[in-house]
Amino acid sequence: MAIKPEDALRAIAAARGDALCVPTMTTAPAWRTIAPNDLSVGCVGFMGGASSLGLGLALARPDRRVLVFDGDGSLLMQLGSLATVAGAAPRNLVHFLFKNGVYHTSGAQEIPGGGGVDFVQMAKGAGYRAASAIGELGELKRRLPSLLKEEGPIFVELHTGLAEATPMTAGMGTPFHQQVERLRGQLIAS
Amino acid sequence: MPESIPAPLIIDTLKDTFREARAALAAEGVRPRHDHLGWILSVPDTHQKTVLAALDKERALRVLTCSTEDEANAVAAGLWMGGEPFVLMIQHAGLYASVNTLRGVAMDGRVPIFSMIGLLSREKDKDPRESRHSMVRYCEPLLDVFGVPHARLEGPDDVHLIPEYYRLAQKRRGPAAVLVGLETA
Repeated sequence: MAIKPEDALRAIAAARGDALCVPTMTTAPAWRTIAPNDLSVGCVGFMGGASSLGLGLALARPDRRVLVFDGDGSLLMQLGSLATVAGAAPRNLVHFLFKNGVYHTSGAQEIPGGGGVDFVQMAKGAGYRAASAIGELGELKRRLPSLLKEEGPIFVELHTGLAEATPMTAGMGTPFHQQVERLRGQLIAS
Repeated sequence: MPESIPAPLIIDTLKDTFREARAALAAEGVRPRHDHLGWILSVPDTHQKTVLAALDKERALRVLTCSTEDEANAVAAGLWMGGEPFVLMIQHAGLYASVNTLRGVAMDGRVPIFSMIGLLSREKDKDPRESRHSMVRYCEPLLDVFGVPHARLEGPDDVHLIPEYYRLAQKRRGPAAVLVGLETA
């Protein structure tokens, strides 16, 4: 049974501490309900950029954990970012991939390769320090404490169903520039 | 006639630019968390290859090579939020490839992204807008469409435009660019 993305996000929210978070596409509406205005910046409007946005944060603030909530369709749009992240080797970055096999936001069309694309192998091949798949919520909860502590970059492919809301049904939320300004203010002050 | 700019002059100018940026960040209350002065986010540009080669030996400037210019823009936004100074070094073709990210990150996100864009194949005896190469000819008009302020680096006397346009990006909270006219020396 696929993990409900909202359940995965709630589990991560409970364990994250003061980690910075970068949701994108279908994780964004749920995340802003689960962790409103809280050390997060959404990647909406430049699909595929979440891991690079997270990389910049991780490099700028090596003292903070950075968690990226990527999508499989999104990652395919900037697949080279796997090599860029691995090359930069940020020890504080965890790259969660919410894999549902479709472009949910645009109407659930199947992504190229469908659910068969093995992103774990891709991340390993790119040079991530660790990469694995998780298909059950219980396993995610068990592994989260170590995932949030171990040296990165770490890649975690979560096998999920479809989110309850998308940016199309729930709206985009706070404008991107306000999210940027808010997180920058929080980081500069800390 | 345009002239090539020596790589050491560009690197020294970048260092001075970053020193000034660090001072401004310190005034804003940003604590430095790195020993280097700033980040060069690069998708390697043939036109600026002597600068990139010289940067390999530089400890004061940290180079991050990205797979695409889209990534470079998004990484820049993360660095900006974290209080780190950066410059993008890309090619005109990379500008064309990353237009959506330029819009989504630098413009909509109001992130002060300063770019040095190499005009590969620019003819020495022609205004870039009259180049026979479309990749040279369309660069300035594209920046104009998006309202991105830009200036030409046509020789060593123009390097003062690097800190000026860096400051301009900060001031307007958005993108600004200088176009490297001839291959760097």
